[in-house]
Amino acid sequence: MVALENVAIHTLNGVQYGFVLFLIASGLTIILGILDVLNLAHGELFALGAYVTSSLVGALVGAAFTPDSGLGFLLVVLAGSALAAAVLVPVGLFLEAVLLRPIYERDEVYQLVLTFALLLVIKDAIKYVWGPKPVRLEGVYSGINALATVSIAGRTFPTYKLLIIVVGAAVTVGLFYFFERTKTGRIVRATAIDREMATAIGVDVDRTFTLVFAMGAFFAGFAGAMALPPTQAHLEMGADPLVLSFVVIVIGGLGSLRGAFVGALLVGVLTRWATWLYPAMELAAPFAIMAVVLLVKPEGLFGSWGERA
Amino acid sequence: MTPGESPGPDRRTVMKAVGGSAIAAALAGCTRLLGDDGDDGGGSADVPDEPIQAGLQTFTEGAASVLGLQTQYGAELAIQRINDAGGVAGREIELDVRHEAEAHVENYQQFVDEGKDVTFGPTSSGGHEALTQEVEEQGVVNVGTDGTVTTLYEETNDDPLYSFRFQNYDVMECVTVARAVVEELGADNVDTVAGINPNYSFGQDEMRFFVKALKQMTDAEVVYEGYPDLLAEDMSTHITEVNNESPDVTFSSMWGGDVTTLLTQAQANDMFDETQIAGTVLYSAVDDLGRDVIEDAEAISGSRNWYWGHPDPGRWSPGRDLFEVARDQFDVVPTAHFHSGYGAVAAWATAVEKAVDLIGGWPSQDQIARALEGHGFYTPSGYHVIRADDHQGMSNSYYGRMTWDDDVGAAALTDVGSFGPREVAPPPGTSASDWIDSW
Repeated sequence: MVALENVAIHTLNGVQYGFVLFLIASGLTIILGILDVLNLAHGELFALGAYVTSSLVGALVGAAFTPDSGLGFLLVVLAGSALAAAVLVPVGLFLEAVLLRPIYERDEVYQLVLTFALLLVIKDAIKYVWGPKPVRLEGVYSGINALATVSIAGRTFPTYKLLIIVVGAAVTVGLFYFFERTKTGRIVRATAIDREMATAIGVDVDRTFTLVFAMGAFFAGFAGAMALPPTQAHLEMGADPLVLSFVVIVIGGLGSLRGAFVGALLVGVLTRWATWLYPAMELAAPFAIMAVVLLVKPEGLFGSWGERA
Repeated sequence: MTPGESPGPDRRTVMKAVGGSAIAAALAGCTRLLGDDGDDGGGSADVPDEPIQAGLQTFTEGAASVLGLQTQYGAELAIQRINDAGGVAGREIELDVRHEAEAHVENYQQFVDEGKDVTFGPTSSGGHEALTQEVEEQGVVNVGTDGTVTTLYEETNDDPLYSFRFQNYDVMECVTVARAVVEELGADNVDTVAGINPNYSFGQDEMRFFVKALKQMTDAEVVYEGYPDLLAEDMSTHITEVNNESPDVTFSSMWGGDVTTLLTQAQANDMFDETQIAGTVLYSAVDDLGRDVIEDAEAISGSRNWYWGHPDPGRWSPGRDLFEVARDQFDVVPTAHFHSGYGAVAAWATAVEKAVDLIGGWPSQDQIARALEGHGFYTPSGYHVIRADDHQGMSNSYYGRMTWDDDVGAAALTDVGSFGPREVAPPPGTSASDWIDSW
């Protein structure tokens, strides 16, 4: 018989995983929805975020803050992760303004070749800077988990995972607020709906595109930063997030932020349940979910980027 | 009294004991017992002047490089010692290292095309199975460093000619850890077992043989089996299920970075309060595991055919010497994978020198392969034999409990024990499965 507390913990694990997926997929989907570019290097931006975090947060933790610093330690880790992700912003600005912009008018295959080349270049750059071996963030995961033990029906749930859920929810609310309520967000959406009309009414499309790509890079980097403490940063780490992000945005509808959110939580929770109830399905589960959704709704759950985020 | 201080055995005695040549002594870690670095290899045999070209494929980058670089360093150190002792029959070795990636056959073919005299590797079990028939077709001897899957010489290549493997294979380390668990916990206290193992041939092979061996010694029942993908970032689903079942033992053949991810996340979920974790190569993550995790886990770990702290360095210093060189020269705590690279080179070099002495010239690939069959040689871990029938290396098998060592600044093994090959491996011609069934 399935115990209820087991259901609760597996579901929470899935929600946490879903928020990490959403952070990655949100960047991919807004770049696809607005720039119409399928960025194959997006997974490497995730990896770059993790590597930068290992250095930046590692230095902060080693220099001035220890797990004994309590809440201050948690805030430093969060600030360090955001700062590491911010390093991705100039990277995104450079990639869009210098490399992608000249080929927007060309066939899509040029974008695929370029972003695939970027994938390889970023991976080599990571190898050059951080070396061939994996790196990890010593003490942060256990340090945050030591702050308070969250117990659900007698079972321990790591504090760091709850932190990811809270931060993920805050980022989600912030993103939707940005696109629905702010002037810049509306300009971005208008550009996505009709690029020529936006230009005609005075929107600087080049600047909008650069902003969107930099935002995508930031969220990929932030996802890498948040994903690092319980695991390690290694040269292959960009591949799975890229593939799973594609699955998520295909499920949600190409270019739809709302679709990416629902798709990410769906994949997160259902894959955790599938792994729990039938462990052999661990690898196949996300693709099985995608196949079912596409059979029922070929355009994805929420269609493409449009009137609503 | 340390070996360096001892008047000790004379040069002739040492040479005879380790195989009769300077490189055999150097590879055994006994050079200092010789008193000088004289070159006794080759004698007046007719051998070419040019260096021996060797190729090694292992994981030189990415997550698996936690193992692969150790293998590379071990091979490099063995070659350094051979060259310092005058080379194999006077020929120095030059090593070309290649990232094995998913290109095991292609790497080997390229080595052959480049005229390599010998090849070593790979680290991956799946890669070794893909490679072994190609070795038989090309006919250039390959001494496998790891790639320890049991079926390699039982099914995939059951009549090998040029393919050899130095490291102990899966069944040996699984039986070792199963025996260690029974020794530590007592057969009557092991009623339930779970497994979290990597999702490919190695992980499935290891879980199968561990459970098979354990069931022969206890009444244990399997209550959970999980197989996370290699490099999985989140193992919490499996950890939650282990916590739900609270098995007496949880077995894991995770290696390298996956060990750190598993143990770190297990600690966060208080899994060590629910179960005793035991694994075959948990110690392979020694350079990454933090003190808190080591102390919470109190894991039982195998260490394949070498652990640097055993036998006691006071009585047998070559193992400790190897440890110190590895730390100074390569900045790692050497693991069994370091020894895989070292031992594979040692096996080939000492066999070739033996062949040169026998035939009075440089041996062909066929002659080298025949010299390796039944070949015995020493490394700092002791004596090894390459079995003639199936080309499988046979060595003692080590295990212990992981503990934090302040002097090392990393994990060490305590209560280290070992089993001889006959206690943990089937006799030639008997499958591992049939052998365990016959207990």
